[in-house]
Amino acid sequence: MSKRTEEYFKNVPMKSYDLLREGLIVLALATVIVVVLAAVFRSPDYPTVRGEDVANLQPIAFLQTSADILAGNHGVQDYGPPYTSDTENAQSLFGVKPADWFGVTTPVDPAEDLVLKPLRRVALLNSGVANALQEYEAANPDQQQAWATAYLDGLDQATEESGKVSVPSGDYGPVAAMMNGMLALGQAGLLEGAIESGNQLPYSLNYTKSLLFFQDDVDAAVAEKLDMKGDQWGVSNETGRFPGAWWLWPYAFLYQIPPMSSSPNADLQAIAIAFAAFLLLFLIPLIPIIRALPRYLGIHRLIWRDWYRRGGSRHSQSP
Amino acid sequence: MNLTRSAQRFLANNLTLEDALPTRLPVYVSSVAYLFGVTALSAIGVLVLTGVTMSLFGPEWYHGGQAPGSGVGRFVNSMHFWSAQLLFFALFAHIVTKYAIAAWRDGRWKTWMVGVLALGAAIFTGLTGFLAQTNWDSQWIAVQAKDAMNAIGIGAFFNTMNTGQVLTLHVVALPLLLGLLVGIHLFFIRRDGPVKPFDARQQDEQAN
Repeated sequence: MSKRTEEYFKNVPMKSYDLLREGLIVLALATVIVVVLAAVFRSPDYPTVRGEDVANLQPIAFLQTSADILAGNHGVQDYGPPYTSDTENAQSLFGVKPADWFGVTTPVDPAEDLVLKPLRRVALLNSGVANALQEYEAANPDQQQAWATAYLDGLDQATEESGKVSVPSGDYGPVAAMMNGMLALGQAGLLEGAIESGNQLPYSLNYTKSLLFFQDDVDAAVAEKLDMKGDQWGVSNETGRFPGAWWLWPYAFLYQIPPMSSSPNADLQAIAIAFAAFLLLFLIPLIPIIRALPRYLGIHRLIWRDWYRRGGSRHSQSP
Repeated sequence: MNLTRSAQRFLANNLTLEDALPTRLPVYVSSVAYLFGVTALSAIGVLVLTGVTMSLFGPEWYHGGQAPGSGVGRFVNSMHFWSAQLLFFALFAHIVTKYAIAAWRDGRWKTWMVGVLALGAAIFTGLTGFLAQTNWDSQWIAVQAKDAMNAIGIGAFFNTMNTGQVLTLHVVALPLLLGLLVGIHLFFIRRDGPVKPFDARQQDEQAN
């Protein structure tokens, strides 16, 4: 025993102990518990939402997503750093916008990266899409916007049969042909491959843009069915009946109460509060009232009940 | 300056073999509450074992692949999942019981603080684990968690949707950080020993 521990335990009676034996017993028990839980309940593995699935099973939703992105309605469109350079939408707390500190590090232009670039690949294989794309890119931005908006309105009355979508006639310009090209791309299972066109192919390990494609309505609809949206305490939930990251319940709770429940700065506010709480936990040994509380809570009397039953401090005087 | 002699002196003063691997303990250490820490360590042990096993065969082995033995891979993945659940259960029980006995007393504040940092590292490691599952959970959590990361500026360096970064963080960088913090935490625990009950401390003070 070192001098400091010998000094500390000078008046305290000791008992025999086997650290390794205790550790091995607990390790064996923990392993058995984990093996039994894994064998009985297995683990969550809900399949990903893929372009192919959405295009074939929910073709109207696929077209709405594609047209929304083209019309500039994607959630990342005016997001700010790290995706876009406009900074006014970055989350703010007391005028501080940490998101703006480091600028654009993952540039994303939703209409260009998620729709037009993939369509240029389709255009190589489909002259109808090539002509439509040429007409669209030759038009001025107002005209492009008008076509996309009209198409989105038309989609509200669209019908679907056997994977084919019928949109009422309207002034959609080339957008209808372009969107049919997107749908064909999706139904062929090529959407993600067409979006990810980095120099690292075929070794890309970064599917940021593919993940962003469905993040707004489609992913949110799936998440709502699975009780995983933010207002359903989603960050701490898992699919099915599996326990999720329940240790984030206090953090998820913050999103359920004002001002976070309706604030555009909810993430920054929630993290600031969570960080303050973590700091409080970290500094407990130095905070007068909180560090004194355990003595009065009485839980220590349960933990040291044998010690107190044998006389507590009087016990330490015995040889 | 003889570094080896300095190291010997440091260990003699701070961590002898009896401190590191004790064969005697104060009699007041007699409660299941003292087992939550070793339970958390055991869960980390199973996490490392299953994690390293999964890393040997790769993601297709443990998630949805058709590779030979992928059934075993899924089972190992399930063990990894439930070990994480056990770890956090044990960690929270450990923190609550250590708070209840004010375990930071008598100069043990560093043990508490490093432990809290380890909890933070474990939470972040858990997040990257959920992101690295390559299933719907990862997909949804990635697009949701990115907003929080971006809001605090971390998004410039940590992209929750970058599968490669998430995977390497989860299997290398964060386990090393967690291991380092747990190692320091254990050093303080073994060096200082278990804190005395409230009245034992008062008794000592009266005796002095």
